[in-house]
Amino acid sequence: MKRWFFIMMGIFFLLALLVPLVVQSDYTLQILFRVFLFAALGLAWNLVGGYTGQLSLGHAAYFGVGAYSLALFSKAGVSPWVSVLLGMALAVISAAVIGSVSFRLRGPYFALCTIAFAEVLRLTAKNLPNLTGGDVGVQVPLLFPHSSTKAFYVSGVLLTMIVLALTAWIERSRFGYYLLAIREDQDAALAVGVNTARCKLWILLLSAALTAIGGALYASLFLFIVPDQVLAMEISTEIAIVAMLGGAGTLIGPLVGSITLETASEIFKNFFKEANLLIYGVLIVVVVLFLPEGIVGTIANKLRVFKAAPIAPFDTSEPPDADEEAQRAAISE
Amino acid sequence: MSLLETKHVSKRFGGLKAISDVSFTVRPGEMCFIVGPNGAGKTTLFNLITGVFHPDSGSIHFDGRTITNLSPDRAAKLGIGRTFQIVKPLRNLTVLENVMLGAFLRTSSPAKAEQEAIKVLKFLQMEKVLHLPARGMGLPMLKRLEIARALATKPKLVLLDEVVAGLPTSEAIQLAMLLKRLPEWGISAIGGIEHVMQVVMRVADRVMVLDHGTVIAEGLPQDVVHRPEVIEAYLGSKYKEIVQ
Amino acid sequence: MLSSQGRSCGSFVNWFYSTIQAILNGLLTGALYGLIAMGMALIFGVMRIVNFAHGAFLMLGMYATYVLFQTTGISPYYGFPLAGAVLFVIGYATYMGLLRPIRGQVDFMVILLTMGLALIITDGVQLIFGADYHQISIPLLSKNIRLGSQISINAPWLVSFAIAAVLAVVLYFVVTHTMFGRAARAIAQNRYAAPLMGINVNQVQAISFGIGSAAAGVAGALLLPVFYLFPEVGNQFKLKSFVMVVLGGMGSIQGAAIAGLVLGVVESLTSLYWGNEWALAVDFVIFILVLSLKPSGIFGSQRA
Repeated sequence: MKRWFFIMMGIFFLLALLVPLVVQSDYTLQILFRVFLFAALGLAWNLVGGYTGQLSLGHAAYFGVGAYSLALFSKAGVSPWVSVLLGMALAVISAAVIGSVSFRLRGPYFALCTIAFAEVLRLTAKNLPNLTGGDVGVQVPLLFPHSSTKAFYVSGVLLTMIVLALTAWIERSRFGYYLLAIREDQDAALAVGVNTARCKLWILLLSAALTAIGGALYASLFLFIVPDQVLAMEISTEIAIVAMLGGAGTLIGPLVGSITLETASEIFKNFFKEANLLIYGVLIVVVVLFLPEGIVGTIANKLRVFKAAPIAPFDTSEPPDADEEAQRAAISE
Repeated sequence: MSLLETKHVSKRFGGLKAISDVSFTVRPGEMCFIVGPNGAGKTTLFNLITGVFHPDSGSIHFDGRTITNLSPDRAAKLGIGRTFQIVKPLRNLTVLENVMLGAFLRTSSPAKAEQEAIKVLKFLQMEKVLHLPARGMGLPMLKRLEIARALATKPKLVLLDEVVAGLPTSEAIQLAMLLKRLPEWGISAIGGIEHVMQVVMRVADRVMVLDHGTVIAEGLPQDVVHRPEVIEAYLGSKYKEIVQ
Repeated sequence: MLSSQGRSCGSFVNWFYSTIQAILNGLLTGALYGLIAMGMALIFGVMRIVNFAHGAFLMLGMYATYVLFQTTGISPYYGFPLAGAVLFVIGYATYMGLLRPIRGQVDFMVILLTMGLALIITDGVQLIFGADYHQISIPLLSKNIRLGSQISINAPWLVSFAIAAVLAVVLYFVVTHTMFGRAARAIAQNRYAAPLMGINVNQVQAISFGIGSAAAGVAGALLLPVFYLFPEVGNQFKLKSFVMVVLGGMGSIQGAAIAGLVLGVVESLTSLYWGNEWALAVDFVIFILVLSLKPSGIFGSQRA
């Protein structure tokens, strides 16, 4: 089973890399780039949201930091690729700050806190035009010569492969088990010696760094960015939805999710035009109601093939002990 | 030389004094049980020992070190294992994976962790359910899973919080007999909380009775059980006379 | 002192009066904020649902009132009960139809569902009404009440403050003194014991969701005279609601109300001293601070 899976993945990515030889249309390549970009972003999010169970709705923060770092550092004279690395570093620092505050919170508080941080970044970028160009925006240098859409597409595929490989490696390691334990029951994890705070932070740092690369690539393709584009909550939600639609906590869920969602988006835009967001919303509602484990998650449950347990929708636990809950602050650890 | 010692430990939650000046010790090789009516503070005591809460006053010592304000994961690393009164299985993982989690405390290799976990599960007679997901398992199995996960961390002291509660008596006694064999696993001592007196009488070396957060009796099980203050705590003062 | 307002570092009196004016305006706005937040707090308190469609509901209330005004000429200050009624029904139906089936799922999913719902509603409205900005004009708009020579209150805001305050008190009364309110609080405290007391949990929760949504709808109606109407108008209020509900203590209605007033004043003062554009950012900073330092909020005492 495992070997079959590897071979399939290998063929898939080989074909993906060969696509530019066949597809010439810039427009199509851009769409395909978006598919793989969001697959990579979704996979990076999946590490925190799927495996560790921490629903971050503020990943746009890291995306935007990557984008703006590329733009602003190059403006200051630093070479583009070094700017990307600096962007990763800044994203890691942001994640350290955001994580140390947010991870003390549980449940919806955590999600809201991540939203707040991303929004603060967005509003700061908007309101400091001297630094960031504000709403007018800022130029982004080319990462690839001749602004070749093919190059962007390939980089998207490569990023996806890297994040996928990282996820697979983590999944089978002790760290991966620890992340799952944190997701399932933090107190039980603590009781067996898992340093939950440290694990959560580390995985967020990794996720942030990877997301920042995505942000830089995206920015470079468009050559121009504004805060409402790269730091918007829409980005955060799209990343999360891609992962959840495909199957949070599964290995290839986000990849499947991205292919599905981006293709659907394109179709909706062409068919329904103005109503495309409405249909998007309907898609989200339908998925939550009928496919709560995502596409891959639902299939995996039926077939019981993949190892990483998807988040099961129904918590059939016994009701919490009222005294216990009264004793423990529901918010902080 | 005690393995675990609490000295004058107190804890209050808002207006409620959950634990009042509790001092007790567990020596290596002992099986020591804490009993008492509901709300006596037994689980709170365990939570204090394992670092889920920190005492307002007093100190806690384990294996020569002071552990009063440690976090639960540090307590686990030092060799205190525990089960939870309300079981906390990792529902989306298999039984084996649940126990591997415990084993990972002592090894970083998934292969070794798996071996360790299988050993523990065999001891608890759970081989048949190794690869079943923890969700949907019956309570008796989940209770064993709690124990297995704690055992896999190779603790020196294991704290069992009502491991037989909710089990039919025959199961409870079976499990109790297994507990007697825990020393085979290099576990130096066991602390337990129990309601089911049949288990306590069979298994305990020593018993401590808690009521309203204070120790009201301590000693050999057969002695403690007959003490008037213990009966009063459980059944009310009316019954005190019956014993005498 | 006063930086970006283009005012000269003028007299202390000027500064004093503009601050007072700002505080006053903030309180007036804050009452409306508080009403919106109370609705969200009720929903969160009883069901632990973070409703990302709350802003969309406010927007619907606004549009409903707009349609009412355009067709019948009834002023929003008389027509707001319609918005309340419409949103009650929508809220009730949303809970029964969409949220109850996924009750057992992780918080994620509920948030995601309400996000999807918000998209549907917002885009739906855009399809029907277009993305243009609308505005209504009522005679009251031009009336100002002067307090002394330096302070004035815009009449519509005073009316909306009065209505919002009354409704807030009514809501508080309902929650604390009626059977329904008691049932709702019981569920909020212990969801598992409540049915054992004979409480029809589903009904109470659906009604709570209806009332909470109605509050947003009414707030929308009250906003119509003084705000531009467009499909996305609800977004900012949704985000601010989160801040207020956390600030006030999740699930605490009184807390949310007071937090609304506080936020209104803070925003007003921020706009005065630093400019409008920082108001929302300050909201979020407060949010983060509260979450880091006192997550249970100012009035939070019960487990969140």
